[in-house]
Amino acid sequence: MERSANVEVEGKVRMRAYFIFIAKRAVQLLAVVFFGISAAFFITHLSPIDPVQQAILRITSRSSFSPTALVAMREALTEMYGMDQPLGTQFVNFWVRLLQGDLGPSLIAFPTPAMDLVLRALPWTVGLLVTAVIITWLLGNILGGLAGYYQNNKFLKAFGVVAMGLQPIPYYIVAFIVLIIFGFVWPVLPISGGYAMHVTPGWNIDFVMSVIRHATLPALSLVLVGMGLWFLGMRALVSNIITEDYVTYAETAGVDSKKIVGFYVIRNAVIPQLTALAMVLGGIFSGTVITEEVFSYPGLGSLLIQAVNGGDYTLVIAVTAIAITAVAGAIFVVDLLHPILDPRIRVE
Amino acid sequence: MRRFLSMTVLLCFLFSATAMLFARGQPEEEGTDIAEAEGLPREQTLILQNPEGSISNPGWFNIWVGGGGGLSTGLQQLAMDTFWFVDPNEGIDGVTYNSLASGPPEYNSDYTEMRVNLRSGIYWSDGVEFTADDVVYTVETQMNTPGMNWNGPFSEQVASVEAIDDYTVHFTLQAPNSRFHSLFSVRWNAAWMMPKHIFEQVDNPLEHSFDPPVGLGPYTLHSYDINGSWYIWERRDDWERTTVAEFGEPAPRYVIYRDGGPTDRRLIEMRNGNLDMIHDLTPEGMFSIVEQDPTTRGWFDGFPYAHPDPTLPQVIFNHQDPKFQDSRVRWALALMLDAQALSMASYRGAATLSAIGIPPTGTHPDDYHEPMQDWLIDYTIEAGGQTFQPYDPDLTLRIADTVRGEFGDEVPTDEAEIRRAFGYGWWGQNLDAAAALLEDAGFTRQGNDWYMPDGSRFGFTVMIPQDGVINRLGTMVAQNWQQAGVNATAEAAPDTWDRQAVGDYEVNIAWSVETWGGHPDLSWFLDSWHSQYVVGPGEEQPARNWMRWEHPELDRIIEEIRTVDFDDHERNVELGQQYARLVVDEMPFIPIMSYNVFVVMSERYWTGYPTADNPYANPVNNWANSRYIFNMLEPVSQ
Repeated sequence: MERSANVEVEGKVRMRAYFIFIAKRAVQLLAVVFFGISAAFFITHLSPIDPVQQAILRITSRSSFSPTALVAMREALTEMYGMDQPLGTQFVNFWVRLLQGDLGPSLIAFPTPAMDLVLRALPWTVGLLVTAVIITWLLGNILGGLAGYYQNNKFLKAFGVVAMGLQPIPYYIVAFIVLIIFGFVWPVLPISGGYAMHVTPGWNIDFVMSVIRHATLPALSLVLVGMGLWFLGMRALVSNIITEDYVTYAETAGVDSKKIVGFYVIRNAVIPQLTALAMVLGGIFSGTVITEEVFSYPGLGSLLIQAVNGGDYTLVIAVTAIAITAVAGAIFVVDLLHPILDPRIRVE
Repeated sequence: MRRFLSMTVLLCFLFSATAMLFARGQPEEEGTDIAEAEGLPREQTLILQNPEGSISNPGWFNIWVGGGGGLSTGLQQLAMDTFWFVDPNEGIDGVTYNSLASGPPEYNSDYTEMRVNLRSGIYWSDGVEFTADDVVYTVETQMNTPGMNWNGPFSEQVASVEAIDDYTVHFTLQAPNSRFHSLFSVRWNAAWMMPKHIFEQVDNPLEHSFDPPVGLGPYTLHSYDINGSWYIWERRDDWERTTVAEFGEPAPRYVIYRDGGPTDRRLIEMRNGNLDMIHDLTPEGMFSIVEQDPTTRGWFDGFPYAHPDPTLPQVIFNHQDPKFQDSRVRWALALMLDAQALSMASYRGAATLSAIGIPPTGTHPDDYHEPMQDWLIDYTIEAGGQTFQPYDPDLTLRIADTVRGEFGDEVPTDEAEIRRAFGYGWWGQNLDAAAALLEDAGFTRQGNDWYMPDGSRFGFTVMIPQDGVINRLGTMVAQNWQQAGVNATAEAAPDTWDRQAVGDYEVNIAWSVETWGGHPDLSWFLDSWHSQYVVGPGEEQPARNWMRWEHPELDRIIEEIRTVDFDDHERNVELGQQYARLVVDEMPFIPIMSYNVFVVMSERYWTGYPTADNPYANPVNNWANSRYIFNMLEPVSQ
C-alpha cells in the first residue's frame, strides 16, 4: 500500500517536472519567435530597396509621367504605406497589429492584406514540404537502418552508393536533371504549376489527383537530395549500435532479427535522427524556395522572392513570421517527444 | 529479410509503373496539348509567355491601382483600350492607330485645350456602350483619388474635362502642353479607360479588385489560376464592336498567357508545344532553340534573331560627381571601349549598336541613323594638337564577319541588312586619342595608370545589375577601362534603380533613353531631361534624367519640341538630330546599343507573326500594342 502510494507520488512528481519542462520550452519558443520576427522587421526596414520607389517603377517605368507627377505620386504612396512615420513608431504599431492577427497590407499588392497572400500560398508549401519530409525521413531512416544491420545485402549496398553519389550534388542540379528527364526526354509529368487548367480548385477528386501529379517532380527532387542524408546517418548509427552488448545478447538469446532491428536497434538510433530533423527543418524550408522557382510551383518561396524583389517588407515579414513560427514550433514538438520516445531521457 | 526487400522493390516498381501509366492517361501530362487538356482546341488557341511570372495577387484586375495583379497577363493586351496606339515598328496601316478616338487629337493654338472625337458603336464586354462619360469618369476619378496610377499626371495637367456629347470630350489644361495626348497613347501602356457603370457602384476604387474585368478589348477573361500562373482569354462574340475590328477578326479564339519559368523550362515548353511565343530568352537560349526546333524563329530570320526594343542601354555618368564634369574625360572613356568586345560579351555578337543617343530600332534608323551617317563619319575631335576621326562605320560589318564563323549562313551578308541588324557603326577604340584627351584635361599617366589633376588615381565603380545582358555588358566596360589604365571596378547591386534615382553611383550601366520607336518625336523621354527637373546631390531624381545632365542647348531643344506639333515629322526629326549631335559633342552618357529582346515565335500552330521582313508590330508580347498581332495571325493547316 505504502509502495503504491510512493509510485503515485513519484508519477505526480514526474508529470509536474514534465509540465515545467514544457513551460520552459514554451517560453523559449515565444522568445525565439519574438526575436526572430523583430529581427526580420529591422532587417527588411533597413534594406536599401525602397518599396515606394519599386511601386513607382512598376507603375511608371514604361509610361510617360512628368517629373512633377512622379513627386506627387511618391508623396501619396509614402503616406498610404505608412512610411512617413519614424521606425520606432512603425515597430510598435507592427507588434500591436500582429498581436491582433493583422500584419498590415502587402505593399506590392496594396491594399490586399499580406496575411491573405500568405494564407493563399501556405497550403502549397506545407503540402509539398510535409509530404517530401515525411517520405524522405521515413525512407532514409528505414533503409539506412536496414543497411546498417544487414551490411552484406547487395541491394542496400547499391542503394548506399546511389545515396552517397546524390548527396553532394547541389539541389538545383538534381531538380534540373529531374525536370529534363521527365519534362523533355520522357515528357510524362507536368513540369510547372500546381494543378492542371481543366480542373476546378476544391475538394474534388480531379483537383486532388492533379495536385498530386504536379507535386510529383518537385517532391521527387526534394526526396532524392534529402534521403541520402538520413540514409547515411542512420546507417552509421546502426553500425555502432549493433556492436552494443544488448544487441549481441538478444541475438545470442535467439530473438527474432526483425524484432531486434525494429525494436532494439532502429528505435534507439532514431532519437538523434529526430533531433537532426528539427535542426534541418529551416534548411528544408529554404530548399522549397528553389524548388518553387525551378518548377514554378506555388507557395511561400515564390511569394517571398516576389516580396524581396518588390521591397515589400510587410509581405517578407509575414512569410518570415510563418516560417519562424513553423520551424520553432516543430522543434518544440520534437523536444516534447524526446522524453516520450526514449524512456532513458527524464526531465527534472 | 529477403522477402521484405523483394516486396519493397516490387512495390516501388508497381507504384512507379502506376504513376507513369496514370500520368500518360492524362493528355496534359504528356508534355503536349496543354490547351486541349483544358478543353480548348489547340488550333484555335495561342499560348504566350507572360514575363511577369506568377502573379502575387492573381484575382486583382483593377489596372488603375497597383494591387499586385498582373499587367501583361493579357489584361492590358486583350481587354483594355484607350484613345491612340503608337507602334514601336511600322504598324499595320501606319505607326499611329486611332483606337477609341476617331482621329488625332485636336489642340487649340496655344496647346491649352485638347478635343477628342470618339468612335461610336464601341461596347464594353458586358454590353454597355462606351461613351464620353467613361472618359470624364476615368480622368476625374483618378484626379480625385491619390494612390491611383494616373492621379499624378491628371491632377498636374488637367484643369477640367467635360463631355460635349456622347462622342466628344474636351480637356482644358493647366498649362500649354503639345504632348498631353501622350498620356492616352500606348507605347508599352497608357491611361486605360475605366467603365463608369462598374466603378460608380464601388465605394472605394482603391479597394476594388475588378474581378471579373469588364473591358473594351476583343477578348474577355475565361478563367485564371488561383496561383496566378496562367490566364485564359476568350474572343468576344461581339468582337466587331471593338476597335480592332477594322483589321478583321482576331484569329485565336482562345489566348493563354502563362508563367514560362526559367530559360530552360521555356525552351522545353515550346518544344513540347505548350508555348507559341516566348517573350525573351538569353542569347544562348535563342541560338539553341532555333537550332533544335525548325518551327521556331526570331524577329530576324537569322542571326542576330532579336527584336531591338526602343530602349538604349548606355554608360551613365553621374554629372554631380566631380570626376565627370569634363566632356574630354567622358569622351576619353568612350574611346577606351572596344565595341566588338561589348557586343560579344553582352549579346554574343547579337547586339545592335548605336553611336548616337537614340535606339537603332523602328523608324529611327530612317530618321536618324542613316541620315546622320555622313556627319558621324566626318566628325572630328581635337586633342593633344591632333585631329581624330573617332567614328568607325565598318565596325558592325566586322562584327558580322566574326559571328559568321560560328553561325554561317544565318548571318546576313547584304550591307544594308547588316547595318539594320548590327547597327550603323560605333566609335572605334582609340587609346591614343583617349590619352591625348585625358592629358588635355590635366590627367597624368604613370606606367599604364591614369591620375587625375589633383594627383589621385583615376578610378570609380561601375554599378551593374546582378545578372542578365546588362550585367555582362557592364563587366566588359569596366574591364576595358581597367586595361586602359583606369581603376574602374564593376559593382553588381540588387538595387541599381533605387540608387540611380538618388544619385548613389559614379558610373551606372542602365538606360535613360526610351522612345516611341515608330515615331520620331523624342519628348517621351527627353522632356524630363529639362534642367528644371534636376535635383541636388542626394535628392531623388524623377525619371528619366538619371545622369542629372544640364545644358542650356538641351533646354532650348526641349522647349522648342514643346511648341512643335506631334505630327510635324520634319521639324521633330530636325530637333531630334540637334539633340543627337549635342550628345555626340558633349558625350553626357555613352550610348551603346538597343535593348535586344530574344522573342521566339513557334510556327507549329500559327503563322503571320511580325518579323523584320514584315514589321507591322512589336513582337514583344507584354507590350499592349502587341494586340494587333492577333488580327494578323493565321492558323497553320493541320
